[in-house]
Amino acid sequence: MIKKKVCMVGDFSVGKTSLTQKFVNNVFSEKYLTTIGVKIDTVEIDQMKLIVWDVAGRDSLSPINASYLVGAAGVVLVADGTRDSTVAALEEIWATVEQRIGTVPCVVALNKADLEDWSVDDSTITKLTDRGWDVFKTSAKDGTQVESLFHALVDKI
Amino acid sequence: MTSQISQRQVKDIVAQKFVEKLRLAYFVVDSDLLVRDFSSNLVDYGFPALNTGEPVEDKIDFMIGMNADISLDLPFVNSPSGASVCVSLVPTDQQLMVLISDASDTTLQRKLLQQAANENELLVEKQIKLMADLEATSTLLEQKNLELEEASRLQTSFLSGVSHEFRTPLTSIVGYTNLVKSGLAKMSAEIDSYKPVRDQHHERNSIEYLSAVQRSSKHLMSLVENLLDHGKLDSDEIVIRPKPTPIVEIFNDVELLLKPLSQTKSIELKVDLQDVDSQTHIVVDDSRLRQCLINLVGNAIKFTDFGGVTVQAKLQGENLDVVISDTGMGISEEDLEKIRLPFYQAADTGKVGTGLGLTITERIIEMMGGDMDIHSELGKGTTVRFDLAAPLFNQTSEHQSVAPFTEASHLSILLAEDDPDIADLVILMLDESGVEVTHVANGALAVEAVQNNDFDMVLMDIHMPIMTGYEAIEELNRLGSKTPIVVMSASAIEADQQKATELGCASYLMKPVDANEIIAMAQTLVK
Repeated sequence: MIKKKVCMVGDFSVGKTSLTQKFVNNVFSEKYLTTIGVKIDTVEIDQMKLIVWDVAGRDSLSPINASYLVGAAGVVLVADGTRDSTVAALEEIWATVEQRIGTVPCVVALNKADLEDWSVDDSTITKLTDRGWDVFKTSAKDGTQVESLFHALVDKI
Repeated sequence: MTSQISQRQVKDIVAQKFVEKLRLAYFVVDSDLLVRDFSSNLVDYGFPALNTGEPVEDKIDFMIGMNADISLDLPFVNSPSGASVCVSLVPTDQQLMVLISDASDTTLQRKLLQQAANENELLVEKQIKLMADLEATSTLLEQKNLELEEASRLQTSFLSGVSHEFRTPLTSIVGYTNLVKSGLAKMSAEIDSYKPVRDQHHERNSIEYLSAVQRSSKHLMSLVENLLDHGKLDSDEIVIRPKPTPIVEIFNDVELLLKPLSQTKSIELKVDLQDVDSQTHIVVDDSRLRQCLINLVGNAIKFTDFGGVTVQAKLQGENLDVVISDTGMGISEEDLEKIRLPFYQAADTGKVGTGLGLTITERIIEMMGGDMDIHSELGKGTTVRFDLAAPLFNQTSEHQSVAPFTEASHLSILLAEDDPDIADLVILMLDESGVEVTHVANGALAVEAVQNNDFDMVLMDIHMPIMTGYEAIEELNRLGSKTPIVVMSASAIEADQQKATELGCASYLMKPVDANEIIAMAQTLVK
């Protein structure tokens, strides 16, 4: 079976761990626990063994450690649909990815679609899709579009 | 014999301790990523046991995507056992050594720090967002406030217009009725003895008919007041103007006005005014008290089909206590809570009305320093009690005579009024008393007349063409005129009355005006 490494990247507290856990173990927790370093999970999908690197989010104290990206066949850019700043940060995060491992297949998760204070407008989504990225409004809480997100990435890989 | 530790032995010991301290594990792969060597303690971190010669990617997940010549440090990687480890990829000659060391302690400290920092930043973000929301809401509220102020301004303007339009014709009706009635009374007194009995009877009837027209006009005025007052309730524009008033007159008026209604329904209306006589004056806003009594007694009659309505009133110290009781249909407990709400009417009464009377009455009583209580029992009747401040007035020289048509031949008044009916009426009323009246139909002519003549007083309407009353007063003030000005207007809007005060006017008379009131005002000003 083919094995591929993919990385979940984005700002802190956007739901990277929650999306990974929902997809890999079908669990969700409301409690926010920050990730230190990286957590590695594996899951089989479409005849492929996916090694998911859930990378610690970018925050005010530290940028994304690009070493974790080495060897990745694709990335999931994750943002919080209720925090505009995390969507805006995707550009900078993608630049880090490209600089370290070049252009790799990428999908975008605008997470927390279940919340009422959603603030991402259509024009912002259009800007993301214009870059060739598939954009998914995901909810790690209720599972909306989580499967589709990972299947789309695998298809691209 | 002294044993000496060699330098090599020291290095070995240090390395040993270091390896133990860091729980160092390792494996070595060749350029094809096949396992060449490994430490036995790899399994302590949850990694599967390795076999020499097998592909490392089959057993170690973090090696997926790596190659043998890469130099890399991967701090804080979650190992399969859950322990946090640091992974270092160190390429050597044709081989790659992968070192794994324990980082649990460091990770724990870092996690605590990072968690607190991130939660703090999330709170700051939330605070900024809330502030932005608050600002947006505040802006929205300001906008709504402006819209409400505009709506309120339009309402006030509308009320002013309606008030003016209703009061002007009513002024004519009440005034001319007064004149005709007064004329008839004079004729009747002067030549009664020379007339046939039938004609005398006819004249007395006519006077009574005119009294009925007067009462109905006042009633119509009070109904209009109810509608206008409702609009003013929220904006606190209702103003109470107490003045010395004969108490008997107020209750007589109410009785005479509502008696025909009770007679139509074949029920008794009894008014019992205790311990007062025709000379007893109280300081009260008589028109507001009349309005309250008409509303409450009118309601009692409306909802009583058998028996009667009793009005009892007496002075208690500085207060007037009034009890209105009826033997009507009564009010259910549920409705009793709601009838004070504007426009509310119990559904099953089958009676018509605006549903505003009680709301306004209660508010007016409160404004007159009183309280109102309602007790009722379904099928047995209702009792409404209220009291209000009504101090006794000691009649001295300062009290104006209420006798009709005071002689005032020495007075000269300028009347500025654009409505010809009202102007004629005021001229007729004042003429009866011998007052010399000069009439002009707009503000500009009023200014001109004051400049060229010597008047005791100017009686000024507000809404006039060419130049309004207020514009004329401003102009006269600018020219230094000392002639006292009394505003006479149909506008019940407080702002209009406030403006008259600000412009230094001597008084503000509300239409319909009374001739005696004008004369008394002029005489006071001349003194």
